[in-house]
Amino acid sequence: MVLLIVGALALLAGLMILSGASPLGSLVTLLKGSLGTPAAISGTLRETTPLLILGLAVFLALRAGLFNIGAEGQFLLGAVACTWVNLRIPGFGGLILGTLAGAIAGALWALPAGLIKAYRNGHEVITTIMLNSVAVYLTTALVAGPMKDPKQDSPTTADLVAGSRLPWLYDHAPVQLSSALLLGLILTALVALWLRKTVAGYELQAVGASPGAAKYAGIDNRRVVLAAMCSSGAIAGIAGVVQVLAYEGRFYAGISPGYGFDALGVALLAGGSAWGVIPASLLFGVLAKGGTSLQLDEVPKGITTVVLGLIILVAAALRYRKVSTDV
Amino acid sequence: MFELLTLTIVLSAPLILGAMGGFTSERSGVINIGLEGMMLMSACVTALAAAKFGPVGAVGLGIASATVLSLLHWLATQVYRIDHVISGMAINAIGAGGTNFLYGKLSDPSHNGSISHVPVALFSWLAFFVPVILWAYARWTRGGLRMLAVGSDPDKARLMGVQPLRVRFFGLLATGLFTGLAGSQLLAYTGNFTDNMTAGRGYIALAALILGGWRPVPAFLACLAFGFFSALRIQLQGTALMGAQLPSEAWASLPYLVTIIALAGFLGKNRTPAGLGKP
Repeated sequence: MVLLIVGALALLAGLMILSGASPLGSLVTLLKGSLGTPAAISGTLRETTPLLILGLAVFLALRAGLFNIGAEGQFLLGAVACTWVNLRIPGFGGLILGTLAGAIAGALWALPAGLIKAYRNGHEVITTIMLNSVAVYLTTALVAGPMKDPKQDSPTTADLVAGSRLPWLYDHAPVQLSSALLLGLILTALVALWLRKTVAGYELQAVGASPGAAKYAGIDNRRVVLAAMCSSGAIAGIAGVVQVLAYEGRFYAGISPGYGFDALGVALLAGGSAWGVIPASLLFGVLAKGGTSLQLDEVPKGITTVVLGLIILVAAALRYRKVSTDV
Repeated sequence: MFELLTLTIVLSAPLILGAMGGFTSERSGVINIGLEGMMLMSACVTALAAAKFGPVGAVGLGIASATVLSLLHWLATQVYRIDHVISGMAINAIGAGGTNFLYGKLSDPSHNGSISHVPVALFSWLAFFVPVILWAYARWTRGGLRMLAVGSDPDKARLMGVQPLRVRFFGLLATGLFTGLAGSQLLAYTGNFTDNMTAGRGYIALAALILGGWRPVPAFLACLAFGFFSALRIQLQGTALMGAQLPSEAWASLPYLVTIIALAGFLGKNRTPAGLGKP
């Protein structure tokens, strides 16, 4: 295990030295750019918000033993559905109805994967990857066609009115703090409570820990798989809603720079409790925000994606080890 | 018409080579969603090496880079026993991020990194022969039968004295070779490297493999079908079809939709290798 971690670090340092960048200097740039000033911290928190909620979505599915790689697609569908409703019903009513629409759209986009897993035993990873691609094409077509703002040249919807957006908690640019982050924390608490204190949450985790034992105990595995997949999709949909209502204020093609993938890393790092999603998403937020400063320093941003990949490998290896010593 | 045919072949070739890489991996029991990252890495390294090492060296280094990622997948899934899907995602991240980083740092502006002297037709010929060779290999040779045995039931194979660890090593070595060729073909066809230039082709190759029931020749036909639809999309761009103008996105999502329908069991029986993902 130590070998794996040392190997990952050596690979990273080797890659940087090979291309003439200083590993230590880059680390300093990354930390300064993400945590150095109040403005940088607020930017990091902005990056953290979608990762927190999406991480929660993937985490929930992971507790039921499902890999929801489809969070990306559910995020897009949630965002586009919410924008569609909000453009028609502005104001507070639109905010509520839009959130609801986003959650439902996310859940529906996860449903085929859940059904195929429960009734045909088709791997959810394959179906969700396919659904992600379809979601990208579908939302791009929507935003380039029927939902496009005629006044704009690029494929984007019109801006939402201020009244139907999530309010800022603190708004003195460049330091801004959105209520979206608070919403994310509340969702985390809800998921944690649901998993810990309710029968449904217990059943979900039982199926994840041992499908055979759960079946023997009288739990309907298929129903649990469906429920887990759909709730995970609904939360991912809400992440899309929040991104539109709190930060973007509109929907456009390419609104997600691959949040869905990062969310898998967040969920894996989170460990066994929903609360673990908070520090994990913060770490990924730091990498995302710091990556932009690296780019200004002429270190291509891709290096942070490599770091994420290596973190995922090491975290997964540690996780397996933990499981094997428990049993 | 002839144009459509040649375009189909050129667009199918990377899918076919990618799917064959998926075949040697998945039929030995290793789930491989990392095909995308391997193809991308090979395309990038081929482009970077083209100026210094000539076309043959560039393709060789491209294959070597894809093989490094492929063997990393072997190490992670077989030695460290990480879930195959997670390792595959990590491979894709390393491929996407690593190529962005390497190309951003090392690309030489005076040379556009094309390997124009390597004829694209060479890859097309390979793409037509490899599936048949793999089919014969899996059916009639000792190594091929061992691969299928490990992929179907690693525990029984172990009892028979076949080491899954070893068989899968060679399976993934072949995956590196084929995905590496697929990446080089993409570069040879498009002429220069751009960020994320595989654009989901690794996933489509995997989809074709699944549609083909994890068999090389049907997977090859599925790739040809996907390639044909992409070619049709390019040829029909802007023209109305049967009175209605379909957005190009509808064509682009077709392979994915067909795969979902196939996985839902509407296209015949489930042929998933029984030992897929088992240690």
